[in-house]
Amino acid sequence: MSVVPGTVRLGGRARRLRRTGPGPLTLLSGGILALMAAAALFGTWIAPYDPAAQDLALGATMPGWAHWAGTDELGRDVLSRCLAGARSALLWPVVVALGTCAMSTSLGLLAGYRRGWIDAVMMRVVDLLIAMPGLLMLIVLVGVLGGGIGWAVLAMAVLFTPGDIRVVRSLTMAQRELAYAEAARTLGLSRTRIMFRHLLPNIAPTVVAGALLSFVAALVALSGLSFLGIGLPAGTPDWGLMIEENRGLLDLNPWAAVVPAALVTVAATAATLLGDQLFERLSDA
Amino acid sequence: MLETRGLRVVGDRVLVDGVDLTVAAGETVGLVGESGSGKSLTARALVGLLPRGLRAEGSVEVGGAQLVGASERLLRGVRGRRISLLMQDPFAMLNPLRTACAHIAETLRGRTSRQEIARRLAEVGIDDPAVAGRYPFQLSGGMRQRVALAAALAGDPELLVADEPTTALDATTQHEILALLRRVQEARGMGVLLITHDLRVAFAVCDRVAVMYAGRVVEQGPGPELAAAPAHPYTSGLLGALPSAELTLERLVGIPGAVPRADAVAGVCAFATRCDRVADACTAARPPLRPIGRDRLTACVHDTAGAARPPLREAALPAVPAGGEPLLHVEGLRKRYGAHTALGGVSLHVNPGETVGLVGESGSGKTTLARSVLGLLTPDGGRIRLAGLDVTDRAALDPRERARVHRLVQCVFQDPSTSLNPAMTVGATLAEAIARAAPADRIGVGELLELVGLPAAYAARRPKALSGGERQRVAVARALAVRPALLICDEPVASLDVSVQAHVLELLRGIGRELGTGMLFITHDLAVVRQVAARTVVLLKGVVVEEGTTSAVLDAPAHDYTRRLVAAVP
Amino acid sequence: MAFVARRLAAALLLLGVLSVLTYALLALAPGDPEQVLLGPRPSTAESRAAVRAQYHLDDPLPVRYATWLGDAVRGDFGASLYSREPVAGVIADRLPVTAGLAAYAIVLTLAVGLPAGLAAAMRRGGPLDRGITLSALVGLAIPPFAMSILLLYGFAVTLGWFPVFGAGETFAERVAHLTLPAIALATGQAAVVIRQMRAAALDLAGQDYMTFARARGVGRARYWIGYALRNTALPVLTVGGLLLAANLTGALFVERAFGLHGVGELLVSAVGQKDLPVVQALVLMGGAVVVAVNLLIDLAYLAVDPRVRHGAVAA
Repeated sequence: MSVVPGTVRLGGRARRLRRTGPGPLTLLSGGILALMAAAALFGTWIAPYDPAAQDLALGATMPGWAHWAGTDELGRDVLSRCLAGARSALLWPVVVALGTCAMSTSLGLLAGYRRGWIDAVMMRVVDLLIAMPGLLMLIVLVGVLGGGIGWAVLAMAVLFTPGDIRVVRSLTMAQRELAYAEAARTLGLSRTRIMFRHLLPNIAPTVVAGALLSFVAALVALSGLSFLGIGLPAGTPDWGLMIEENRGLLDLNPWAAVVPAALVTVAATAATLLGDQLFERLSDA
Repeated sequence: MLETRGLRVVGDRVLVDGVDLTVAAGETVGLVGESGSGKSLTARALVGLLPRGLRAEGSVEVGGAQLVGASERLLRGVRGRRISLLMQDPFAMLNPLRTACAHIAETLRGRTSRQEIARRLAEVGIDDPAVAGRYPFQLSGGMRQRVALAAALAGDPELLVADEPTTALDATTQHEILALLRRVQEARGMGVLLITHDLRVAFAVCDRVAVMYAGRVVEQGPGPELAAAPAHPYTSGLLGALPSAELTLERLVGIPGAVPRADAVAGVCAFATRCDRVADACTAARPPLRPIGRDRLTACVHDTAGAARPPLREAALPAVPAGGEPLLHVEGLRKRYGAHTALGGVSLHVNPGETVGLVGESGSGKTTLARSVLGLLTPDGGRIRLAGLDVTDRAALDPRERARVHRLVQCVFQDPSTSLNPAMTVGATLAEAIARAAPADRIGVGELLELVGLPAAYAARRPKALSGGERQRVAVARALAVRPALLICDEPVASLDVSVQAHVLELLRGIGRELGTGMLFITHDLAVVRQVAARTVVLLKGVVVEEGTTSAVLDAPAHDYTRRLVAAVP
Repeated sequence: MAFVARRLAAALLLLGVLSVLTYALLALAPGDPEQVLLGPRPSTAESRAAVRAQYHLDDPLPVRYATWLGDAVRGDFGASLYSREPVAGVIADRLPVTAGLAAYAIVLTLAVGLPAGLAAAMRRGGPLDRGITLSALVGLAIPPFAMSILLLYGFAVTLGWFPVFGAGETFAERVAHLTLPAIALATGQAAVVIRQMRAAALDLAGQDYMTFARARGVGRARYWIGYALRNTALPVLTVGGLLLAANLTGALFVERAFGLHGVGELLVSAVGQKDLPVVQALVLMGGAVVVAVNLLIDLAYLAVDPRVRHGAVAA
């Protein structure tokens, strides 16, 4: 019919972006995350000191040749603790993101494709969970009931899933009405095949971006819990816990709190940027 | 009153390249073109409201004021007062948060009174004063378009640019709105530039018609003369592709190839690559729009003026012997959605190898019927029998029967942009469909593509790399992969340009003829149904109001609604 | 009206579930309820009996819950296990700091978020837009406690522009003391508002009715206020509840990082000390505030959007 102006407007910059390779921001974010992943995997080996080794006589010192990021109150090497902390900081969020992604994708596809009572029941629960002040409940539950990081991770996955279910469901509902999905049903293809082979690839960009966002949310929430002294036992090398333990040292060795704070920030920012870029790229392709 | 000289719209590349138009007071000029011709951008350029990143060049003069490069301040004074724009989609054009009254009042400037609003509404045929207080979502499409027209005219402009004002409306409503537009234009002595993709609409309503192609005007002249003796091969191509509501044409001829980008043909005749009369002169330089008689202009180098079109050749659609068991037998089908009755007891049948047209407007229940037969929804009552098998409730069938039903009936859907899975290649889509066929019927992907007139190499392509017409062909191929006895075509050409539509219609006719596939052809377009269906069923609000051979239904309609439909054909 | 009734019912249901969960904390906490409720007091036969009587521990669970809820609705959450003061009083002491912080943060959020989002939309694709979009993305990712530490280090320790800890006494002191915490709290929220505002403005700019309004010469004031502002209000309003939840949880971290004795800090220490009456009261209050604000947002929809008013679409 007529040229809808929107199609013209899309042109320009968006198209130019598509032709070029990954942008500098994407590369930078990816590189940072890769470095951090390497630290999570090999951090304990490359760390110059034992992250738990104390030197009470030394105490908190500013950065120097021996300790590049200085030491904390107990004389522990901040750099080594940061390297060691990468593991818990990144590993658990990855678990949360994968769990959330798997649950929300399968449940969202199911609810959006089957509709009916499955959908109705699921949406009631989802609405309720979304309306809850989630992080607050998490802090209180894990804080009062105890149970450590395992429960915190599980609770977090349960908290993050409903929002993603809603997104996947509404996308699925939109896709299933499209002619190609109706044609697949007319051909008598099985439900699983339609859901996973036809619908899923078309909502994949959102699913991938959603997983990265869950990763960021879990990273922030878990280090936040540690910052509040909840979840991990005191003394564990963990970024959130280090900020909490060393925030009183801003005059003696500020780097003991600033470095882990910067690391959390950089990791979260890099993953957010990557998710954003990935989403745009995938939905353009 | 309106005069454009060498109007260009430029963004990253040239989108509109040289439009010369004049509209005088009291005159209706049609600007006709297919998608990608740049006609809507031209409309936007005239009111100085191009999308971001695009700018107009050349000259647009309205009542002596130059609008290209004019300040926003000057434009604001001109818009609404001297030139106003009416847009396509009545559902998107009105602010959902404001009442009809507010829309008119905000353009009236100063003289807002209840009587004035009522007078303005009465001018566009709304006599119910309650409409003024309604919000857009409480009004029908036709009503919204009337309110929008009243709002566009509230500043008493000398010129109205109407950009596809009736495309989103049903045929009967479209007819009313066009008549209204004409009436208002005559009463006010206003100039109207009507932008449309529909040649028939342009010929019916306009004093003069300009044909746009690849960002430029290729021919201009009085409507009847243009229709009788087109002076540009593109115009004659369009006319040849146009289905007729009056007679069944022996052959619908589409235009081969696709519309080039305006910037790719800047220095040559834009139509040269698709023209069978192309000569050296066509590609040596860009042929200017030259006069060829009174009020007539063409951009073709050949001397084609006055070459009358060959008379249309009529053909009879093969009659199908009656008797025997019908392939599809629908009896008393009912479906309700809440308080809305989609189907109120519909009965119809399709014999093997026969094509039946199902005509109705939006809300007639034609798509609900199709979806019921396809098993995409379960009706509330009635019976559907397919080749002797009761398929009313698909869930009640055993797996063997269900597999059989999927091979009995297939569908071609309306929207070519969503008819194929964008994540799969054409080959994968077709292979998946072929695997559902009975083992004896399975053919290769390449063969299937050839069957619908596409090269076998298309198997490696993704839907994104295909044009609308090509996608619809692939959709036909997918449906044919299982060798269905019945093919349901749900408005398969409604979203396609005329030149492409002809290809697809011809393909579907060939399939009915050569493969003996029975078809239920759903459409709102009487001209299309005349080309494909031997028998026609007319549906109104979920009830069959008329049924018979297509020629009987269209030539001597018995029901009042059918008569209105026939009268609404432009 | 059906819409209001439905929303009200949903809000009450949510509060009910929240109260059950809150009360269940007592039953689920490690150790038996008497022990938990005794807190740090010496455990003798008399003190145990007193606790059993005070908290009606001998009644069946549903009755106990009903009694507790009845008291809670009247504002009586019992006494803190530590300070022995009534919970309501403890909270009331802490409220001004948190309220000041939250209000300051919301002012900053709106003052920065709305214009920045609008500016980004108006300069779409340009360097300003890219800068704002990128900043918003970064702001979205930074956790409030990390932001707090970085701000403290940068502006309080290194530059010495702002006081390091505490809430201050006079109004001017308060503002100075609360500036860095409010910025830390507002960063994430402002990022949300920027993104939402930008998306809403861009979406609006692509609407036919905006073009149509200009095409028939609607006045500039009418165009910006009657069209642009009113139609973007809805999508921006939808993130209001989200913002509030972020505000509440963010306050926990920010107050702790800056050593502010607000409600958030109270909750964190109460959780640490397993001071259940305080925790229960705060969770219920937090939930009630979120529910109430969401209800207000729904009502605002009702006022702005005739489609919701006439029941044509759900909010």
